[in-house]
Amino acid sequence: MMRNMREWVDEILSSRVRRAFPLMVFSGAELTHTTIDDMLRDARTQAACLAALAARYPSAALITAMDLSVEAEAFGSEVRRMPNEAPTITGSLVRDADGADTLQVPSVGAGRSGIYLEAAALTASAVIDRPVFGCHIGPFSLASRLCGMTEALMNVHAEPETLHVVIRKATGFLVEYARAFRDSGVNGIVIAEPAAGLIAPAHCDEFSSGYIRAIVDAVQDDHFMVVLHNCAASGRHVGSMASTGAMGLHFSNAADMAEVLAVVPAGMLAFGNIDPAGVLKNGTEEGVHRTTTELLMKTALYPNFVLSSGCDIPPGTPPDNIDALFRALDEYNAETFRARNLESIP
Amino acid sequence: MELLKEIAEKVEAGRQNEVKALVESGIERGIAVSDILNGGLVAGMNSIGIKFRENEVFVPEVLVAARAMKAGLEIIKPILLREKVRSKGTIVMGTVLGDLHDIGKNIVCYMLQGAGYDVVDIGIDAPGEKFVQAAKESGAQIIGLSSLLTTTMVYMKDVVDALRASGLGDRVKVMVGGAPVTQSFADEIGAHGYASDAASAVDVVKRLLA
Repeated sequence: MMRNMREWVDEILSSRVRRAFPLMVFSGAELTHTTIDDMLRDARTQAACLAALAARYPSAALITAMDLSVEAEAFGSEVRRMPNEAPTITGSLVRDADGADTLQVPSVGAGRSGIYLEAAALTASAVIDRPVFGCHIGPFSLASRLCGMTEALMNVHAEPETLHVVIRKATGFLVEYARAFRDSGVNGIVIAEPAAGLIAPAHCDEFSSGYIRAIVDAVQDDHFMVVLHNCAASGRHVGSMASTGAMGLHFSNAADMAEVLAVVPAGMLAFGNIDPAGVLKNGTEEGVHRTTTELLMKTALYPNFVLSSGCDIPPGTPPDNIDALFRALDEYNAETFRARNLESIP
Repeated sequence: MELLKEIAEKVEAGRQNEVKALVESGIERGIAVSDILNGGLVAGMNSIGIKFRENEVFVPEVLVAARAMKAGLEIIKPILLREKVRSKGTIVMGTVLGDLHDIGKNIVCYMLQGAGYDVVDIGIDAPGEKFVQAAKESGAQIIGLSSLLTTTMVYMKDVVDALRASGLGDRVKVMVGGAPVTQSFADEIGAHGYASDAASAVDVVKRLLA
């Protein structure tokens, strides 16, 4: 359902309660007793998983699958499938400058990208009580998968021009893919750019943020919001991330949320950052509750903060732990609201 | 010594051709290869390692520094072998069964080599037996396990068990690391050490070999 996303952002900024938008997709497979492999290969299965998540959890928004192999696979990379994990890219398509020059840019819909667009469209029609975000990889991270991660990171210094050729081609595909997500009816996209957190902020500007800006400029408007997610980003990367113009920035548990919020522009939402593996999956309910409460208190002064997981919540995360996150949020909101009401009594 | 300092600076700057030239010059001038290794190559990587830990440099800078260090190491390696200069220790490194993500493992390998250790990199998606076999063949003192996924980190326990079953459990220690891995997980599976990041892996190895 189309909605005004700038108004959605403004609602959050002016709200007296905190919202939560965990990156939660794989848990939907468990709710619907399907495998992750099935969910990532069939649009209807994925949409059913997302609908189940929407029914179960009061998230502020929903996101389609964060599968960082889809785009590289569309280019022709080989993937290794696993029943209960997202696929992984194996090998590298681009081995040298010639390989970069001859790399063909696929059409949107190639590989499984069409499945994800269809899943997005189905979910956008079915879930109308909250925004639905699509998800795709960022250009530097895609280039890293096409070249091999170690090689791409080495080429930041060793062969930057070759790397730029690949990133330009990656961006060309991603602009069209983002447009297709917008056409599917979702309210925005989360761009996942984990590899950019591994490079210096100046390199992030050069090899990532400038290209993401092109995607943002192509698709973001009042009704379509871009959120930039960077797993490895620290406070030092915020400036570069913000320069993309995305309406929201999403951080993993590698970042100190208070440090980040001190530099994120006030009108830009900042999402994060409960540790999805160490706390949500492998921790206890009490640990989740405590960590969530501590984070909410630490970020209390920032109206632009939205509670989230640091990255997508892994398969096998106990539902009780996710419930504990929302329970902590409800208790915090109730207490904060009560405290504010008491303050207003003359 | 000025030459060794220059080697260290060029390693840190990632200038592999200049490192090679300086190492060759050092050999010609009769500088002991152990000094070239420790005072030049290892010193350079140590310096970049500290900066990496302090977030002054990032992964690409570590990678090009490691490449420069390895270029120098290749020149002195035959001499080190001939002179029977012993490394500080040998570590078998790999990502566990089912895990294909190797950037973290690669950085740890470079940091360990840079610190003067021999590294046997068995690559990705390695079952327990492969780690054990590599440890037997190389005489390694430590096995280092890397995992990026919560669904593959469980196979770290298999490696610990395979090591015990092989009879090497008393001689070879296990170090674990990777994004979802924690100290409590390391304790739970019986690992001897946990590295929260690539920079601290060197410290963990030093402690385990002390």
